[in-house]
Amino acid sequence: MNRKNFLSSILTAGAVIPHLGASASNTPTRHTSTGSYPGHIDPAHPGHHDPALPSGQLPLLVPAYLRPGDTIGITCPAGFITSKEIKPSVELIESWGFKIKVGDTVDKKDFTFGGTDAERLADFQKMLDDPEVKAILCARGGYGAVHIVDRLDFSGLNQHPKWVIGFSDITVLLCHLHNNLNIASIHSKMCNSFPDDWTKAEPVQVECILSIRQALSGEKMQYNVPPHEKNRTGTAEGPLVGGNLKTIETLAGTHSDIDTTGKILFVEDTGEYLYSIDRMFWNLQRTGKLSGLHGLIIGGFKVKPDDPGDEYGRTLYDIVQERIKPYDYPVCFEFPVGHQKNNVALKYGIPHILTVQQAQVQLIEK
Amino acid sequence: MSTIPPYLHPGDTIGIVCPAGYMPREKAQTCIDTLQSWGYHVRTGPTLGSDSENYFSGTDDERLADLQQLLDDPSINAILCGRGGYGIGRIIDRIDFSMFKKAPKWIIGFSDITLLHTHVLTHYDIATLHAPMAGAFNDGGAATIYIQSLKTALTGTPAKYECAPHPFNRPGTATGALAGGNLSLLAHGVGTSSDLDTKGKILFMEDIGEYLYNIDRMLYQLRRSGKLDRLAGLVIGAFSDLKDTQRPFGASVEEIIREVIKEYDYPVCFHFPIGHDKENLALKTGVEHRLVVDAGQVRLEEC
Repeated sequence: MNRKNFLSSILTAGAVIPHLGASASNTPTRHTSTGSYPGHIDPAHPGHHDPALPSGQLPLLVPAYLRPGDTIGITCPAGFITSKEIKPSVELIESWGFKIKVGDTVDKKDFTFGGTDAERLADFQKMLDDPEVKAILCARGGYGAVHIVDRLDFSGLNQHPKWVIGFSDITVLLCHLHNNLNIASIHSKMCNSFPDDWTKAEPVQVECILSIRQALSGEKMQYNVPPHEKNRTGTAEGPLVGGNLKTIETLAGTHSDIDTTGKILFVEDTGEYLYSIDRMFWNLQRTGKLSGLHGLIIGGFKVKPDDPGDEYGRTLYDIVQERIKPYDYPVCFEFPVGHQKNNVALKYGIPHILTVQQAQVQLIEK
Repeated sequence: MSTIPPYLHPGDTIGIVCPAGYMPREKAQTCIDTLQSWGYHVRTGPTLGSDSENYFSGTDDERLADLQQLLDDPSINAILCGRGGYGIGRIIDRIDFSMFKKAPKWIIGFSDITLLHTHVLTHYDIATLHAPMAGAFNDGGAATIYIQSLKTALTGTPAKYECAPHPFNRPGTATGALAGGNLSLLAHGVGTSSDLDTKGKILFMEDIGEYLYNIDRMLYQLRRSGKLDRLAGLVIGAFSDLKDTQRPFGASVEEIIREVIKEYDYPVCFHFPIGHDKENLALKTGVEHRLVVDAGQVRLEEC
């Protein structure tokens, strides 16, 4: 395939087509018929998971979708950001008809963090506990969510569920919420990725930002992605889980670790060496995350070039293909999710149907 | 109490294998000469100085076969890994340890080889040697106390190490089996069948070339997976060539570690001479040691 044409087709990949006939639910729902994918308490490693709370045994909790006038809270559980930097996102979200509550951690700075652990914890907790806040948008990733996740009290979400939105380091929270409460969340761009000037934004940026609004508003998500020659065809159905690959690896063995059995897993990463990516895919395999999958979505991987003399000799595609060889579920590459412009909003924990065909790839919210 | 493989005698044979990254044969020559000068025979497998043209010293099958052959061959008394790099994780689930279990022998190495140490300790409770590998013999390395510590470890002389105090050390005395290795590999092993049970053990760790935030993240993983709360003691080696993000992390590696373990009360020492620098003492994992940390000094010795 001509590489230039290929790239331009990727650029418009992931067009999000809202399902216009869908009825958005504006009340939270516990779905009781989510199937019986098993919990993931590994008898070989007792004590790592709270046996009282395996996600697989909890019905799926979908927070109420947002209506105009609802409030979205912005907070920094990881890296720091200034109010100036979040301004474009605040203005745009307000133009959609939502209200914004800016958390105390915006403009806070403790080296790389958006405030001290105590400050980030308090701000996120405040957002969780504030009945007015219907969705919590993490301002950016970076690093730091794992410092506070064990001290956050999520129990209020059972009565008053709300959306948590973010990706990259926020994978910690999305995985934790999925594993411990089986509550749906949104994996998407954050405040730091909103274009400074909406009128000059590239179409792909506009699409991705608007997909957050669509997801929050309860539109059924549908993504059409160009095919990739390395894809493995097939159809899969299951809850969508995943996130940043390195973050998923560093959650292994903890009670934020996800069970992927019967699910569609998506992964993305940035700035890693190929050998490290290989090691992480082996980690997925060796922690039992590849064998029971229904489908695998490979998002963007910004690979760090090999050091001279240490050429790895395998591409990302080789690495993935080696690991999925024993299984037969569908796999697609270059899905528009990751540390890149083309990073569409995905409803985490919600059942989807992945169809990988020669001619096209489609991911549809069930 | 772990099974301790037989110590070596003059005339015994050490096999050299490269189960991970590629190593040209000439880089192992000083090591081979030195081991011979210690009175051992040396046998090298096909993965040392192989014709591999990529990162690895051979295909997965070739590396597996070479290591397997040395594990199974009764005339091999110890296995020295030529170098680390990356690659043990790709073959570990296919290694057949049944002969090794019946006739244990010393497995020597560090860095990527950490996964082999933790796997062997967890599954077979057999002692291994976390120690310098072939490359460390070069450039005058063979004469250092670190390579000498490997020599004395192999002959069964109980280890008795001392190191300078560090202001962050936490005083106390601990007794327990040693376990540990490279932090990245310890974290990578969590949740897999090569995972380490650290309860009651003296855990040691070192790393190289990692971002400070990533060191922090890996330590959080160890803590959150229950690896740090029931230790007998903690030995922190070298964390060399660390990197920082453009926005500085704001804490040194010593401060990161001190913070992560602050709620526990076991003895801790910093800057113990193990790691990717020349200072890398041989440590017997699985073997009972006593760690004494006081204001004046640090001692780590076999019980």
